[in-house]
Amino acid sequence: MAAKVEVTRPTKIELARLKRRYKLATRIQKIVKDRLSILIMEFLQTVKECASVKESLLAEFAEAYKALTITTGYHGYVPLEKELLVSEMTVKVSAGTRNVAGVRMPLFEIEKVDPVKSKMKNAGDTSSILDHSTELSQKCLETIIQLAELENSLELLGAEINKVKRINNALEYIVIPGLDVTIKYLTMKFEERDREEIARLKHVKALIEQREAYAY
Amino acid sequence: MPTDPPPDRLITGYLKDEARVLNAQIPRKRKSLSELLEEEHPHVICSDGNAHYFRKKELESLSQMVNDDERRSLLLPIIMEITSDRAEIIIRTKGETEAKIFSTILDMSVICKQNKITIYRPQLGVIRNALKTTTQYVFFP
Repeated sequence: MAAKVEVTRPTKIELARLKRRYKLATRIQKIVKDRLSILIMEFLQTVKECASVKESLLAEFAEAYKALTITTGYHGYVPLEKELLVSEMTVKVSAGTRNVAGVRMPLFEIEKVDPVKSKMKNAGDTSSILDHSTELSQKCLETIIQLAELENSLELLGAEINKVKRINNALEYIVIPGLDVTIKYLTMKFEERDREEIARLKHVKALIEQREAYAY
Repeated sequence: MPTDPPPDRLITGYLKDEARVLNAQIPRKRKSLSELLEEEHPHVICSDGNAHYFRKKELESLSQMVNDDERRSLLLPIIMEITSDRAEIIIRTKGETEAKIFSTILDMSVICKQNKITIYRPQLGVIRNALKTTTQYVFFP
């Protein structure tokens, strides 16, 4: 797309102002590009981490379901359900934010589960198989929280990358070329004005010389 | 009759926002590692007024890399300067603690020259992977 020339007043002050703006826009574009490259790097790292966490979560789920099936077989469905209904577990998740290159991302940290409270209510009805199954479920929960943090970060980073890309494109294809064309237009206009002035002066000089020659 | 703002003014507005957001993550005051280890929810306040929280596991792994004196002198988050003209990233430091940490993470010697540590962009990924909350970017034009 051809850049448009937009000048309100074709003056030297306007030209100086435009040159200053051009310099500033170029500097800002460099920073925006740097930020974009950093954000993309962070995004790719988060994608990799997200994929590995998802993979481990699937493996943990498979293990946990397997353990639960064995537990159900051992205890029976109804007694197990009854036991699980009365059991309780305290999970404390501290949530905060971390700032990465101007993007505020969530930070979840699971605090250690209280071992006393996480135990089953009726010790007589439980078994080591059930304890093992509970442990595996707890592990799954930790990974789910980790995955939630990563997925949310991924969304936020993606949105920010889009925004920064738009700004970069606006600078690269609209602002900077527009300023460049306007500066060139004004420079040419002033050069033309100078040339006209010289030609006018020469003409006036020739007229004066002619008049002086006639006077003698 | 209300009209749309001209595109130039719109872009200037965007740029103002961008400049504001760009270095919003810089902490107002950094805290030492020993100080952060004692806090229940370790955090610093950023220049935009929001809190930046540190992951406890990260702080613990950092504390294992350094000794007691270094724990008191190491200020967090570690600030990494990104300059658009240069390919490398500069970390300004008062001591050798940061160099020691980076050499442990990168598994290679990192030299601190004139209170400056220089690392390269491919190494940045490795460092950020290990120190997600304890490092911070600063953009320089």
